[in-house]
Amino acid sequence: MVTFGAAANTNPNKSFEVTPSPSDSISSLRFSPRADVLVATSWDNQVRCWEISRSGTSLSSAPKASISHDQPVLCSAWKDDGTTVFSGGCDKQAKMWPLLSGGQPVTVAVHDAPIVDMAWIPGMNLLVTGSWDKTLKYWDTRQQTPVHTQQLPDKCYSLSVKYPLLVVGTADRNLIVFNLQNPQTEFKRIVSPLKYQTRCVAAFPDQQGFLVGSIEGRVGVHHLDGSQQDKNFTFKCHRDGNDIYSVNALNFHPVHGTFATAGSDGAFHFWDKDSKQRLKVMSRCSQPITCSSFNHDGSIYAYASCYDWSKGAENHNPATAKSSIFLHLPEESEVKAKPRVTTSKK
Amino acid sequence: MGKKKKRATEKVWCYYCDREFDDEKILVQHQKAKHFKCHVCHKKLSTASGMVIHVLQVHKENVTKVPNSKEGRDSTDIEIYGMQGIPPDVLAAHYGEEEEESPAKVAKIEIPSVPLGAAVPRPYGMVYQPQQVPGAVPARPIYYPGPPMRPAGPGWPMPPPPRPQQWYPPGSVPPPPHLGYRPPQLFPVHGMGMNMPSSSPAPPGIQPSSPAMPVSQPLFPVVNNTTPSQASPFSAPLPVGGAQQPPNNSFPVGGNNSHSYASGPNTSGPSIGPPPVIANKAPSSQPNEVYLVWDDEAMSMEERRMSLPKYKVHDETSQMNSINEAIDRRISESRLAGRMAF
Repeated sequence: MVTFGAAANTNPNKSFEVTPSPSDSISSLRFSPRADVLVATSWDNQVRCWEISRSGTSLSSAPKASISHDQPVLCSAWKDDGTTVFSGGCDKQAKMWPLLSGGQPVTVAVHDAPIVDMAWIPGMNLLVTGSWDKTLKYWDTRQQTPVHTQQLPDKCYSLSVKYPLLVVGTADRNLIVFNLQNPQTEFKRIVSPLKYQTRCVAAFPDQQGFLVGSIEGRVGVHHLDGSQQDKNFTFKCHRDGNDIYSVNALNFHPVHGTFATAGSDGAFHFWDKDSKQRLKVMSRCSQPITCSSFNHDGSIYAYASCYDWSKGAENHNPATAKSSIFLHLPEESEVKAKPRVTTSKK
Repeated sequence: MGKKKKRATEKVWCYYCDREFDDEKILVQHQKAKHFKCHVCHKKLSTASGMVIHVLQVHKENVTKVPNSKEGRDSTDIEIYGMQGIPPDVLAAHYGEEEEESPAKVAKIEIPSVPLGAAVPRPYGMVYQPQQVPGAVPARPIYYPGPPMRPAGPGWPMPPPPRPQQWYPPGSVPPPPHLGYRPPQLFPVHGMGMNMPSSSPAPPGIQPSSPAMPVSQPLFPVVNNTTPSQASPFSAPLPVGGAQQPPNNSFPVGGNNSHSYASGPNTSGPSIGPPPVIANKAPSSQPNEVYLVWDDEAMSMEERRMSLPKYKVHDETSQMNSINEAIDRRISESRLAGRMAF
């Protein structure tokens, strides 16, 4: 049973809260690749957009627009030019919303089951969507039918793109890697190095590998090249005593190559995989963090504190549940890569 | 002397197990810990033969194979120390496999058996045919020679797939301008693009080591829940070991390594110390009280949530877990009815 602590625990890091907050859990957060515009998708069927302004260390948010789906929205993606937002969810559709020009959304993708993750591929001008119908589909938004449908071994749970690397995590703990220059062939398929259900994946900015997070409070760092296999490792995180929480989100800092993890324990941490250090431990919020995102230059880290269903329906009280989007301004020491301090060795 | 092979990054490697290291000092430490260690008393010797002699004299036992070594590399007769003592054919084979050079270079390896300029009755001017040097790698096409054809019409381009296990270095992949056909990029992976020896006859696309390997398990089952300082290493959460780690931590807990080290990955430290509590414990059977907050392997949190009538999609494609659905429904109904205190 979730015990709600004092009011201070809902925002122990004193992060700025984006208002108005969605009325149900937030499923994805995405900053525009060009400007400080934040989009959030929610289980209340809405896709909302705020403009974030920053002066010094103070932030402000202005809600700009929103669109709705017929059913909970689970994922979103920005086009690389920052003009258009894609969103998809339980209504098995993905919509394209040219929000910068104030246009109306149009449906550009359809699956046989809810769409759980998506990404825009700048090198090919295509949208890729992953669904519980065990397929990936690539869409040229001008056409009704997908350019390509890729069968997956099981339901897609998460995907991440850093051209030309695409990595997909599926329900059976498979991790499938595609080279987008040859997307019809699986470049590699491995079983997750983590023994538990895959929760999220994130491709390295240098495309040399990816991170994978599981429900068992663990993250795996995996390199693709055969010669770098000895650099692979896993580490435990988001655990508290005997409680092991799920890692819900992985995000790379766009500049420093470090990354953040966010978990069901309501905490988010910053890590450096190359020196294998945890850079910063943040305080736990009273609710799980479901998703997070860095803005385009890494100066703002947005995270959503809301119920992720990790304790089932019995711990969800719609009357009192609150979903919040917080913005954290990372200090350089928190996100800058740090060489490991080694003691001398014989 | 033949032409010295110059590679982008000159890595040293272990003769016994083909693992690669950044510098020779680490390689030597690795050899001492893995190959030259007495299996009885764990004393680290400096060579294989030294280890054999020690085991014979002290423990009265005959050692015939170098521990943790590959087939064909386990002879105790060969005197190896770091990179020294490696037979030239093995050396050449290793680098010949790694280097993405043209076959011509391979053929230029000096052939020791036939002395040039000796009174060999050869017709003047005849080109000397290089024999297949024992161990020299036969010429093999490293790069794909190019697509056999270009797909004519619009639609999906189909360049031949890249070689298995070879990934592309960052920055050398310019994105295609549009959805058109692209010739495959030939990536000069920093001299190391080849299948690394640790996964030699790997079936493409499948990493041989991962499925079978008991992947890196926590050495210390309970996470040390101290609040570490900012720059603290992963030593608390990482399975690299506890706080008293030997500083020689150059190797990550490579769970995907194809070697299963007998006593856990970090045996190269100076302190043998207490053995790890659990070496390769299967996480599914947790005898301790640890418990996963979300433990349903069959579905994700979102799938369970979707089964709630509030969110439920009313069609046949969402027939998931009716039992969970029923339970959830009952819970929400009873809560609404005020019967359940929250």
